Amino acid sequence: MYRYDEFDAAFVGGRVAQFSDQVRRRLSGELNEDQFRPLRLMNGLYLQLHAYMLRIAVPYGTMSSRQLRKLAHIARVYDRGYGHFTTRQNIQFNWPRLKDIPAILDELASVEMHAIQTSGNCIRNITTDQFAGAAADEIIDPRPVAEILRQWSSLHPEFTFLPRKFKIAMTGAPNDRAAIRFHDIGLQAVANASGEIGWEVWVGGGLGRTPMIGKLINSFVPHEHLLAYLESILRVYNRYGRRDNKYKARIKILVHEEGLETIKGQVEAEFAEVRGGVLTLPQAELDRINAYFAPPAFEALAAQKIDVARELILDPAYGRWLEHNLHSHRQPGYVSVTVSLKPIGGAPGDATAEQMEAVADLAERFSFDELRVTHEQNLVLPHVRISDLRAVYDALVAAQLADGNSGLITDMIACPGLDYCALANARSIPIAQAISQKFASEERQKEIGDLKIKISGCINACGHHHVGHIGILGVEKKGGELYQITLGGDATENASVGKILGPGFEADAVPDAIERLVDTYVSRRESPAETFIAAFRRLGDAPFKEALYGAG
Amino acid sequence: MEILTGNELTSGATVYLNAQGQWVEDLQNARVFGANEAEARDAAIAATKKTLRIISLETEKVSLVDGVVTPERLRERIRATGPTAPVFDRQHLSEDGHVSI
Repeated sequence: MYRYDEFDAAFVGGRVAQFSDQVRRRLSGELNEDQFRPLRLMNGLYLQLHAYMLRIAVPYGTMSSRQLRKLAHIARVYDRGYGHFTTRQNIQFNWPRLKDIPAILDELASVEMHAIQTSGNCIRNITTDQFAGAAADEIIDPRPVAEILRQWSSLHPEFTFLPRKFKIAMTGAPNDRAAIRFHDIGLQAVANASGEIGWEVWVGGGLGRTPMIGKLINSFVPHEHLLAYLESILRVYNRYGRRDNKYKARIKILVHEEGLETIKGQVEAEFAEVRGGVLTLPQAELDRINAYFAPPAFEALAAQKIDVARELILDPAYGRWLEHNLHSHRQPGYVSVTVSLKPIGGAPGDATAEQMEAVADLAERFSFDELRVTHEQNLVLPHVRISDLRAVYDALVAAQLADGNSGLITDMIACPGLDYCALANARSIPIAQAISQKFASEERQKEIGDLKIKISGCINACGHHHVGHIGILGVEKKGGELYQITLGGDATENASVGKILGPGFEADAVPDAIERLVDTYVSRRESPAETFIAAFRRLGDAPFKEALYGAG
Repeated sequence: MEILTGNELTSGATVYLNAQGQWVEDLQNARVFGANEAEARDAAIAATKKTLRIISLETEKVSLVDGVVTPERLRERIRATGPTAPVFDRQHLSEDGHVSI
């Protein structure tokens, strides 16, 4: 893992001191709220419905045990004993008090964490594949480049007041688990004809009120020129992105309105100016950062097959967990383990301080002290020996974290919604809970197979509803909540945006509506191997529409 | 009918202006401004702003249902009590969080 150097430590320490003084001045009345608000937002401190919310960056979703233990400590001492992991691989605390923020930031800095650039019109936390550095299908670990991008984008003087926020996601594997086509910039590792590895650059993707699939602006940018190329895109966006209308200010609108070829021409012109200059990434620097992400000291183990069928008979719960929560590792004898934060009836992404400590202990004992946060609001132990799986599972059972539902219908994304969020129009969490309870049966979940439901409580789409196989969008109607259902979204390399099927549903009718969609899929699929999204693409929306609204 | 609501600076807790000019936690203690009390309402807003201690200051439409102050918006009903799923108690004021105009 990356460790702060003297510059990083001084920079974060300096920011803590600066913001602590700003908090002091706010509390004493030297600053009013109009003056203070932009300062607190630059430090990840929002005001939500009930209290402040502090959003803490987890750079590219990678954490150590020590860091997760610190988050648990903060949850317990300064908050209400739990935290909420988000779709941007960050964590949010929902109940901090303003006077405690300096102490919290000080605690975070002691473990090389902060809340800088988790708000505001700047480059936000760069997200990656949660199995980076571990996945069997990976071409390259994207995290060293993600770290370099973090350093480049942190307090970048030119990009601190962009037209709007800017999100970058990257994956080192051809199977996109980081939703890169729905980010302002998506980076996908590729090899060129001569076998060199570089980056495909996708631009102008996004969700929100105007969902767009990113467009390929460059099919191969070598490592050494990546910073210059991204700087060129940001410069074009910073210059031409709309500032007259907040809802049209993201780069996706610029690319859409101007056309990819125009933007590409502008980016290339800018790139021609800066290419080969100070932003060229020397191999020595890349090697230096790469060293932080060197593979851990894996044992040389023989490839080992996990006999899931046997375990399903001996211990069905363990068998289901093995069947669904493991991901193939590039190192023989190891797997990556998804720790589900989606218990039946729970709030997606929430973890208690005790659960965080339990996972931190497991990472320390069984995963080379490393952890990941997923954009689907789960945690990952990236490097677990197959022979340790039973011990890991037993410990997760004790921590009430052993749900074997990764990728299944109950593994939903949901934003905090109107229970917490000042922007929301409708609640998300109770909808997720009700659907989870409806499909609680393990047999039923297994029968349905891979199915992604994503729920947002407003059009800003923090719950990624546009890319849910089934998406649910809460809207306000006549003072109450109404839920629109979309079908056919997909956040992977086969990217698609879901389409609204018809009129919305009252909250208590949503679980039944989802069940009708699921029943339609199960009855119409060619075989259990045909997933929901595959069946939807083959069948179109007609049978699903009929299931919801009747024939005609 | 309207009430004044906001969040107290130090805790972020949801608060309401009562008839005594204090910012309090309980929605049912909120002063309800009638249609002909715009002047008093605006004076209260101005006085509150001077304290610098109430943020996200808003007027909210309410009705009285059997004497119970009931905000029109669901958002405000949730703000008054706390998250519904799971149910958490609302944020409370700290000892230093009492604001008056």
